[in-house]
Amino acid sequence: MSGGEWHRLDGLDPASAEFPARARVGSEAIVIFKTGTGLRGVQRLCPHQRAPLTNGVIAGNGTMIRCPQHNYLFRLADGKGVNCPGYKLAVYDVKEEDGALYARPAG
Amino acid sequence: MTEATATRVLRGGHVIDPATGLDRIVDITLQDGKIAAVGDGPAPAGAEIVDLAGHYVTPGWVDLHVHAYGTLGFADPDSIGIYQGVTTFVEAGGPGIGTLDEFVALMEGRTITALYAGPYLRPMGIVGLNFIEGDIRSLTGIPIAEWMDFMKAHPGLLRYLKIGAFGSYGKGPLKMGKGLAETLGLPLYVHIGEHQQQKGDDASYEIFRIAEAGDIITHLYHNNRTGVLDRDGKVLPLVKDAERRGVLFDIGFGGYNFAWSVAEKAYAQDLVPHIISSDLQQFNVIGPTFSLANVMSIFLRLGMSLNDVIARVTTAPAKALKLDDRAGSLKVGLPADVTVFRIEEGAFELADTYNSSRTADRRIMPVMAFKGGRRIDSDMTRCQDERNWLVQIAETHVPAAAERLTPAQLAFLAALRGAIAGIQWDASSVENFDLWKAIALQDAFHAVRRAQDLALKPALTAVFDCFLDHPFTMQIGLFLLRLDRTLALARLEQVTAQRRKVA
Repeated sequence: MSGGEWHRLDGLDPASAEFPARARVGSEAIVIFKTGTGLRGVQRLCPHQRAPLTNGVIAGNGTMIRCPQHNYLFRLADGKGVNCPGYKLAVYDVKEEDGALYARPAG
Repeated sequence: MTEATATRVLRGGHVIDPATGLDRIVDITLQDGKIAAVGDGPAPAGAEIVDLAGHYVTPGWVDLHVHAYGTLGFADPDSIGIYQGVTTFVEAGGPGIGTLDEFVALMEGRTITALYAGPYLRPMGIVGLNFIEGDIRSLTGIPIAEWMDFMKAHPGLLRYLKIGAFGSYGKGPLKMGKGLAETLGLPLYVHIGEHQQQKGDDASYEIFRIAEAGDIITHLYHNNRTGVLDRDGKVLPLVKDAERRGVLFDIGFGGYNFAWSVAEKAYAQDLVPHIISSDLQQFNVIGPTFSLANVMSIFLRLGMSLNDVIARVTTAPAKALKLDDRAGSLKVGLPADVTVFRIEEGAFELADTYNSSRTADRRIMPVMAFKGGRRIDSDMTRCQDERNWLVQIAETHVPAAAERLTPAQLAFLAALRGAIAGIQWDASSVENFDLWKAIALQDAFHAVRRAQDLALKPALTAVFDCFLDHPFTMQIGLFLLRLDRTLALARLEQVTAQRRKVA
């Protein structure tokens, strides 16, 4: 399901980028992870206590991200808090096209 | 003869028992689950000799602040207890008077580690949602008579009354807690620390004035608002005044509440905790807390002697909890609770809860523990298994345990579904912590259970087994509130359809 317009991620070359990689979608700071099923973006700061998710750990067989500060886990599919009900993480679809990376808020 | 009653001689280990002043290599004999002898000599006939050369032997460790139950608890509480050298622990605030019955039903007999309770003043216990628990409304309904009746029905189970020194309501709630603790004859156990990140006044400092001899203040070295140091790094006079009155300080390391910067400054000014505890919970067990042993190692790095560290996990907490008739010492006749560890040498990074570390050249590593004479070899990574700390609702499948529910449990679930179908809740109920909805769901659960004449434990486990692959324990009202309502009703329908099929 589409979640909005695709934004080209300037400055990120898919051929040479190292993940996790910082990027911006409009005014939103995000971080992009490479998972077993492809690329996925999440908001850069954990919604719990604003710890940077650049140090986040992909968990649950590539289906979740864990904030290392307090071990809160979020589903990469929809951002829902797994062990922290009431918290939600903004997640982003990421695609590679014509030698560039694009992201959009996940629907 | 059972494993626990076997006669064993622990030989060759360096024994440290601060309660008796013992600090040398000497034999400890365990027999019939008790400490039978301390001293060298011929072993009793048939005794097993346990060679502990190169190891330290101490009274079983007492961790007076863990989260074994509730929204912060574990599927396998022993993983942070006996498997890490801790023979006695205290649940710090998981249940309140409104959920102590659930705590007893689920936790009695669940652990090898001796488990006591330090319930919260808040009737629901620790909520664990969004830190909204500072809201004074969560203190609604504190039934003095029920507290007293519970104490009578469960003598010795409760060891302190926990309160949080936070919020925007001045010192009134602190005095309510102190008043109830006095009424019940329990020490007050006070959390200072991360809740001060909420908006509010500095009422938490008032607890240093309100607490009396024997009360315990935890999270001494936190670095959030309202810490124990002033802006120049000097220990606040009111903190030292409280210590002079006999108020006890605990470390409660946790996931938010230990800063090297505070610890080093406070320790240098002789502000030293009387008790070392871990505050282990789901959210810090894979770091930075890891184990009580890790917290003890941090105190070695801070400069505390090994004997002083041991005193703070044995005789000091046992005395503070009034458990010194059964724990915290190797005196002859006491239960055979013993911890064996070694000191590892190397280069170890020891992190605080604020992403700051110090390198230590030694650390404490548990090797085995004896609980009432029963030997359990240490397993320091058992607790880190994701199935032990990650509460994950089985959204796409029915857990296997649901297939084993009894007809009585299935009938109960069918009736429960009907009852909670009349209650509306959604994601915002959790996001904003709608206490009243949680209480409504809890009330519905109990009303149905009573109508069905089903005991509390099978009723609780029936619900958990419909949604969890691993056996977590949690306040039932909070658990139901956390479920997606549509999923909850559909799952109960799906599981109880089995009953109709059988019928």
